Amino acid sequence: AVVSTQSTGVDSRPDLSGVSSCERLTAAGIPCSYVYINSSTYIMKKVTKVMLAADALLANGYVLGPVGTAMMGLIANTYNKPVIVCCETYKFCERVQTDSILYNELADPDSMLKTLNAEESPVAGWRESPNTRLVNLVYDTTPPALVSIVITEIAELPCSSAPVVLRRGAVKM
Amino acid sequence: HQHDHQHAEAVVSTQSTGSFKNHEMDPFLLKKIPKDTVSRLEEFALYLRESKKERRSYVSVVKTVNVFRDLICTADWVTARELIKIIKCYCKYLPLSQSNETDVSNVVRRILKIIREENAGPEATNLADGISAFFKSDMKPSNLGRSDLQDNILNSIVELLVELDTSKSNIINMALEHIHSNERILTYGHSNTIRDFLLHGRRARDFEVIVCESGPSLQGHRMAAELSAGGIKTTVIADSAAFAIIHAVNKVIIGTHTIMADGALRAANGVHQLAMAAKYFSVPVIVCAALYKLSPTHLCSYDPDAFNKVIGPENMLNFSNAKLHSKVLISNPDFDYVPSDLIELFITNTGGHAPSYLYRIISELYHPDDYDLDNMCVETVDDEL
Repeated sequence: AVVSTQSTGVDSRPDLSGVSSCERLTAAGIPCSYVYINSSTYIMKKVTKVMLAADALLANGYVLGPVGTAMMGLIANTYNKPVIVCCETYKFCERVQTDSILYNELADPDSMLKTLNAEESPVAGWRESPNTRLVNLVYDTTPPALVSIVITEIAELPCSSAPVVLRRGAVKM
Repeated sequence: HQHDHQHAEAVVSTQSTGSFKNHEMDPFLLKKIPKDTVSRLEEFALYLRESKKERRSYVSVVKTVNVFRDLICTADWVTARELIKIIKCYCKYLPLSQSNETDVSNVVRRILKIIREENAGPEATNLADGISAFFKSDMKPSNLGRSDLQDNILNSIVELLVELDTSKSNIINMALEHIHSNERILTYGHSNTIRDFLLHGRRARDFEVIVCESGPSLQGHRMAAELSAGGIKTTVIADSAAFAIIHAVNKVIIGTHTIMADGALRAANGVHQLAMAAKYFSVPVIVCAALYKLSPTHLCSYDPDAFNKVIGPENMLNFSNAKLHSKVLISNPDFDYVPSDLIELFITNTGGHAPSYLYRIISELYHPDDYDLDNMCVETVDDEL
């Protein structure tokens, strides 16, 4: 039997990596819709589950993901949709972190100036202005309370099992 | 392969405004209004129809008052009831059912309330006599003749214009009560009121502002440029990063397009999620808006297609990516509904108010018979025409 699913890709600037996800999904035959993260409350009512990717799972259960992951987790929780994080166990990390600022990466600020229409952004001359800064965060941390389940290659776990998996890995070695 | 075609239908339905089925004015109206006024009224309707995103609501509100003042002076009426009927008839002709026009509808409601009050004269019923007396729509013809009544109405309209004129300065003068030194304030997208509010605060205090880009229109960039030109240290972040930084922010100060009757907002796309993130970290959300944005309408349905307006996605995904465009449903809603429990304070031209107090302000500003301007319920008692 073929189950027809629909998926909605939520994208955030400036990477707009959701576009390539949409392309891959439509190529596979899954009907897709596409919104920016600003409109996530607009579509959240019709969504049945939210799937997020992670860059790391920290030892205190926080999920380090591309910026916007935490926002999606919060909105999904408010609308009572399950949040599923897909993360391989090699991404589990002994570090602990409670917020997104203490340890993060800054990507190229000029990529925030990219607009799809031909007009230049009003802050294009931001380097000359002493008062303007562009901050292009790469990661953000999602609190474990906002995540329903983490799917790894060995099992489906709650976020709080991260240190258990790490310990198991250490014992094995 | 099921696409949700509801979105396409919604675009069509919000475009077709019922009052424009026939572009002719009601013959009743044409009987009562001289020809040159008719042309001015048609011009105003055209101005509203070509609603542009960057149109300032203050400008359209002042235009509205002037057009209706013109109508009151030149139309053929004797009693206040007739005048109200003429005004409501004209409102049917205007494209007020489009989401952009709530500020215009609100000002029309204010004018109607002025007419009713002047008609009732000094012995008007006030709330002290009880709620039921207030809701009686007594349109007894007043003792004043048309010219006196018209003079009183026009005087009150001049007061209304002064109130509209000073509404922004009243709001921004409260900036120093709400911004302290070394504070970090988060704002969203572009708002003239908020920009002037923050710039006024900058004159006496030193603080930082973080501006969310507000994709896909990226109005936040314009706001950041204006704020930093005014001497405020500004940081621009992507909307997705709002949750990441909001715990380090002292307060969120935003503007809005409309305030609904229960204290909810119809604001720019993306404000709801920002308010949710602020609530999660207990960061207060303060909304600065003039009272002409306060609309006595409630959210009738949570269906986003009934409340919202979907605009073109050219800013979201390049049309050159035609293969994707043809397969993927792209939604670009213009507004966002923010429930009132996420908002801490409203700063209006009459001062600061909690969202729970707005119902009282509505009862002072508007008359219950005027709440629904689209399906105008003209009083069922006989007209003396």
